[in-house]
Amino acid sequence: MTNALEYEAVAEEGTNPLGISGIEFIEFATSKPQALGSLLEKLGFRPIARHRSREVELYRQGSMNIVVNSQPADLPHTVRPAETPVLSAVALRVSDAEAAFQRVRDMGAWEIPVRARAMELNIPAIHGVGESLIYFVDRHEEFSIYDIDFRAIPSVEKKPAAIGDLHFFGIVQYIGADRTADWVWFYSQLFGFTRLPDRVRFGIMPKGSLLQSPCRSFFLQLIEPEDNARYAAMEEHLQRIGFGTSDVMATAALLEKRGIEFLASEKVHANDRGALTKPCLGGVIFEFVHDEAAIHSKPR
Amino acid sequence: MIIRDFGMDTASLAGPLAAKLAAVRRAGFSQVMISASEVVGHPDGVDGGIRAVRDSGIAVTGLETLRDFEGLDGKLRDYKMDVAKSMLRLCRALGGRLLIVEASTSSHANTDADAIVRDLRALATLAIPLGVRIAFKGVSWSRTASNFASAGELVLRADCRNLGLAIDAFDILTAQIPLDDLDAIGPEQMFVVQLSDFQWQTLHPTADNAATKTRYRVFPGEGAHGEELAAFVGKVDALGYAGTYSFDVYNDDYQQMPPDVVVNRARRAAEWLEETVLRRALPVPNMAHLRRPADD
Repeated sequence: MTNALEYEAVAEEGTNPLGISGIEFIEFATSKPQALGSLLEKLGFRPIARHRSREVELYRQGSMNIVVNSQPADLPHTVRPAETPVLSAVALRVSDAEAAFQRVRDMGAWEIPVRARAMELNIPAIHGVGESLIYFVDRHEEFSIYDIDFRAIPSVEKKPAAIGDLHFFGIVQYIGADRTADWVWFYSQLFGFTRLPDRVRFGIMPKGSLLQSPCRSFFLQLIEPEDNARYAAMEEHLQRIGFGTSDVMATAALLEKRGIEFLASEKVHANDRGALTKPCLGGVIFEFVHDEAAIHSKPR
Repeated sequence: MIIRDFGMDTASLAGPLAAKLAAVRRAGFSQVMISASEVVGHPDGVDGGIRAVRDSGIAVTGLETLRDFEGLDGKLRDYKMDVAKSMLRLCRALGGRLLIVEASTSSHANTDADAIVRDLRALATLAIPLGVRIAFKGVSWSRTASNFASAGELVLRADCRNLGLAIDAFDILTAQIPLDDLDAIGPEQMFVVQLSDFQWQTLHPTADNAATKTRYRVFPGEGAHGEELAAFVGKVDALGYAGTYSFDVYNDDYQQMPPDVVVNRARRAAEWLEETVLRRALPVPNMAHLRRPADD
């Protein structure tokens, strides 16, 4: 772990033009929703609600919402075979979704036509990396976007507690060779992210560049291909979710009992700083990072 | 011999797209600048045009040309943004990494630098998720940027990593700009350099220029300005430019000649510049990364 004060000082310089205050949900697209659902349940998520008219399910644990979208038209078609779930969208909590959308659109974001939006929710969206979308959600306090288009699954606890205080810590994005500066510019100009100095690192996967959200509650990690992989064809994409937990080893032990397997190679293995799951369902990976949530979860 | 440092331009050649690409390849060129109209106007439709380019095995230097884009307001601006998006998508579909944008000659264009910078930034931002770079090009009769220096100032102000310059030797030669003026441009800002010669000894500005620009350009060494072009290439190379030199040649005669004949003339031009000026002929792997500005 690194000095928390150090990166707080860096983030202090940024601004938060969209009023971002965390991640409302992360969406997977897959043609095998049951398989992903059972993996999410092993991780501690519970199915909470189903979309009224589309093949979309909402999973939740603690503060985290994950949407599993298996509506055929919404499946990405260039990233990977659709049986392997792909990270297809991130919804950001903002102070005014329409204002945020207008602002980034004027600055050069690609808007998504309403009919193509995954959940028929009237929430504005733009293109992110690869085939993925970025949603803007402002109804996360008084009432939730899920109340409208989703039907709660009966007799299910709507707010299941998180295992080992798990929370969204960040998202890892794989990018093309020499593309770091482009993407840093994209996230800093449009959203107010701040690039952290290379000495600031979390977890056990320290590659690439780290960007901190303007609300200082989550991170993006941009990773370029290395060595010979630089010359291989690769579509840029969101690669994995990172969960924060205050005790990696204890959380990993709990999850292992639930059937989650962790990588245990000489190079990558669970320790106090972090852990990485073995690839599931053809390539889905989750990362765990030591994080005292209180350090940076306070929105400004 | 495979020609790596010089690229052809589909607009130089007559005939259907696939025949042009085949001629380009036969002559040993490995990359080509594509005119959007060639793909969109393909007899088998846009998809057929994209397939023709992808199947040719020739790398795409870039896509040309987005015109009259910057400095517009209201509905005109929205309209041009849609045009820009369409060209960016096409560029990506072709496997291209560069879109050439010519400074606006529209009488509707706002010449306020803030408005122009705002639009260039928006365009560069649109291009980021697609992995496309924007090469902005001054045009002598433009109202927003009439040469590489004013285009360069706008690019510097916009300050986006994927926004740079297309530098056209023709503009420098016709305006008789001293080569040392290029010192103000960093090699990292030069996204592509375009070369052409022309047959007149001198040019009158504006009308003459516009006609020559589109009708009387020839390959380097074929016109009256071979030595100046060689000096230009030498200068750009010394500044540290390691990218493509794209032959930006259009003329009415070449439109009536078989593409193989025209592309062989281009090949002679490439060989002449390679041997007399550039001498990149014996490539050392990754040499481009080691190339440094002459001043260092």
